[in-house]
Amino acid sequence: MSNATASSTTDPGTDTTNVADRDKARRWREGGSEPLLRVRDLRVTFQRQGAEPFEAVQGVSFDVHPGQTVGLVGESGCGKSVTSLAIMGLLPERGNKVSGTVDYEGTNLLELSDQQMRDKRGKDIAMVFQDPLSSLNPVIPIGLQVTEVLERHRGMSRKAATPVARELLDRVGIPDPDRRLRDYPHQLSGGMRQRALIAIALACQPRLLIADEPTTALDVTIQAQILALLKELVEETGTALVMITHDLGVVAGLCDEVNVLYGGRIVERGDRHDLFAQPRHPYTNGLLASIPRMDAPRGQRLVPIPGSVSDNLPWTSACAFAPRCSQPIEVCTQKMPELEEHHQRALRCFNPVEVSR
Amino acid sequence: MTDPTSEPTQPDEKATAPAETERTAYDGSDVLVDAKGVKVHFPIKRGVIFDKTIGHVYAVDGVDLQIRRGETYGLVGESGCGKSTLGRAILNLEPPTDGSVVFDGVDIATLKGEELRKKRQDIQMVFQDPLSSLDPRQSVESLLFEGMKAHGIAKNAKEARPRLVELLNAVGLPEAALAKYPHEFSGGQRQRIGIARALSVNPKLIVADEPVSALDVSVQAQVINLLEDLQDEFGLTYLVVAHDLAVVRHISDRIGVMYLGALAEEAEADDLYAAPLHPYTRALMSAVPVPDPVIEDRREQILLTGDLPSPSHPPTGCRFHTRCPWRQETKCDTERPVLRVPEIPGVGQSHRVACHWTEQIEAGEITPHEVAPQATDLSDLLDGDASLMGPASISEAL
Repeated sequence: MSNATASSTTDPGTDTTNVADRDKARRWREGGSEPLLRVRDLRVTFQRQGAEPFEAVQGVSFDVHPGQTVGLVGESGCGKSVTSLAIMGLLPERGNKVSGTVDYEGTNLLELSDQQMRDKRGKDIAMVFQDPLSSLNPVIPIGLQVTEVLERHRGMSRKAATPVARELLDRVGIPDPDRRLRDYPHQLSGGMRQRALIAIALACQPRLLIADEPTTALDVTIQAQILALLKELVEETGTALVMITHDLGVVAGLCDEVNVLYGGRIVERGDRHDLFAQPRHPYTNGLLASIPRMDAPRGQRLVPIPGSVSDNLPWTSACAFAPRCSQPIEVCTQKMPELEEHHQRALRCFNPVEVSR
Repeated sequence: MTDPTSEPTQPDEKATAPAETERTAYDGSDVLVDAKGVKVHFPIKRGVIFDKTIGHVYAVDGVDLQIRRGETYGLVGESGCGKSTLGRAILNLEPPTDGSVVFDGVDIATLKGEELRKKRQDIQMVFQDPLSSLDPRQSVESLLFEGMKAHGIAKNAKEARPRLVELLNAVGLPEAALAKYPHEFSGGQRQRIGIARALSVNPKLIVADEPVSALDVSVQAQVINLLEDLQDEFGLTYLVVAHDLAVVRHISDRIGVMYLGALAEEAEADDLYAAPLHPYTRALMSAVPVPDPVIEDRREQILLTGDLPSPSHPPTGCRFHTRCPWRQETKCDTERPVLRVPEIPGVGQSHRVACHWTEQIEAGEITPHEVAPQATDLSDLLDGDASLMGPASISEAL
């Protein structure tokens, strides 16, 4: 297995998909297109009553180019969902402070008024959430929830919007869409609800789609369907996708660029082929070693990462991963490493994993 | 249909045809759990004054399985396939509607009251959600001591203390944890407490229902390794119920794949993953994402269309035929396949599969075809009407 990985990365000429991917990535980087979304130094601090304020996102920066799929991966508590909510302006008004810039085609989304943001949300930027049952309104039929977006953003009448809604449901693979328009969310299965949610998100042909753990609540066979659907829609419509997930397997098949988050910061970034073939950050490396794999020989012991995220809160000013790291050096517990860009990779580590292959 | 209120009956020869499977001969002496024709049906009741039973949810519908001493048996399947209910039926937490569960020579389906309570010392359970399965108002000491007291292992907490410390050491927690409460621990540590509680009464079998699915990836590996270590140390037998195939494959010696209340395939872990035979197993395994872009780009997925049909109206014949890409005109929708050892060279006696056409599919005589997705109507469960299910349109997406 590892041999196959190594050979395909050291000799990309033999692997056509790999080459196509790299070309695409180079185009994005070398000024082929302006980034659609440019997040710079995003910080989210939660004020807590009777306790120190807690900085959940500590300076996250990344770019999303048109048509690109960017993954944000990490365990619970790493700040990946808070990042997405901050971009969408969906954090509660009280009790938190958001700073930095979220530049969407030249507009800083963080400076927009509520009204301006409402015009953008659902139209230019859409979001798909983890739990489709709690994101759909339980007392309104599916059809109405789709037409609502069309009426609000595209100024259609309900009569004109209904056939479009039907088309959308059909497009995302919901059987018998005419009947489903009149169904309530509880009458749909989990996979169908997620499809309905994707249909709502795509109703206005957004240029950016943020998917926050869209398949976590679903069974594997349904997950495969939804991932295939997302992949196809992204390729077809040119929508940029930000995929937020804890599942490295999902990222490996879907994302062009992968950002690994830990402790509210990006610790490693790279093209998916490079990142999975040569993880440099001990955390990425540790995650990959701790997952039981379908294709690994059986009987091999897993190598877990000791401790857990919550054991080491609050994150000190030094490297947040140092207490769990397999190879900490002295400086790790004294100061925070910077995110250093190098050959289309970014790494935040004083003592990275040696490149062995 | 079996009346769910009647006493569980012995299956003997009276077991109905679909439940009867061709058994492979195992040496009977090392079998710890022998479940035969287990069925668990839940009545769907309705009515204002009189509760009328208007149908049943066939959660488990005729499962035969044997768990040998010291092995780990993995039960996989998607949500709603009845894997958890089967796990609970083996503990008699959910009394089987029909069939027998012989544990260590005693049919626990016939046990009642005090006898059943005593037997439970030998069978313990580890639950999915460690926070909701631990009483938030009990300290760890009292949580662990409760079972020991109930089964007469220790009379008071003082006497039990050395044993409690030993238990905590075994699961990798410090002695100081005894005085703490469940909310003071992280998810992984709580699951360790749940495991320590199961161990406290020296069980022979531990049924672990989704033991790691609520945990973060990096912590999952810790708990999986712990379960393996404890098995070696205490000679435990595990029944691990989970939806994550990679986890089940890693931990199990033998695996049973469930679909809609019945076993679709059963085999040694290595055999099952090297050569899955049932169309459902093939599809399930091809759907699991692998954290390796090179493999992800190259592999061919068998995308199943549609959802799991409702267990209150299971499809006739083979339960998988509505979604099966290899479905044939004959047999599949009329005859329920039995779990059997297929006649394929190289496939051992322990590999059993419930498919009419296994041999032909394996030989390549039958090729997969497109399947129109059929939606599952969840309102079935509410109004008991499945006739609404119309012909499904084929979307170009799938």
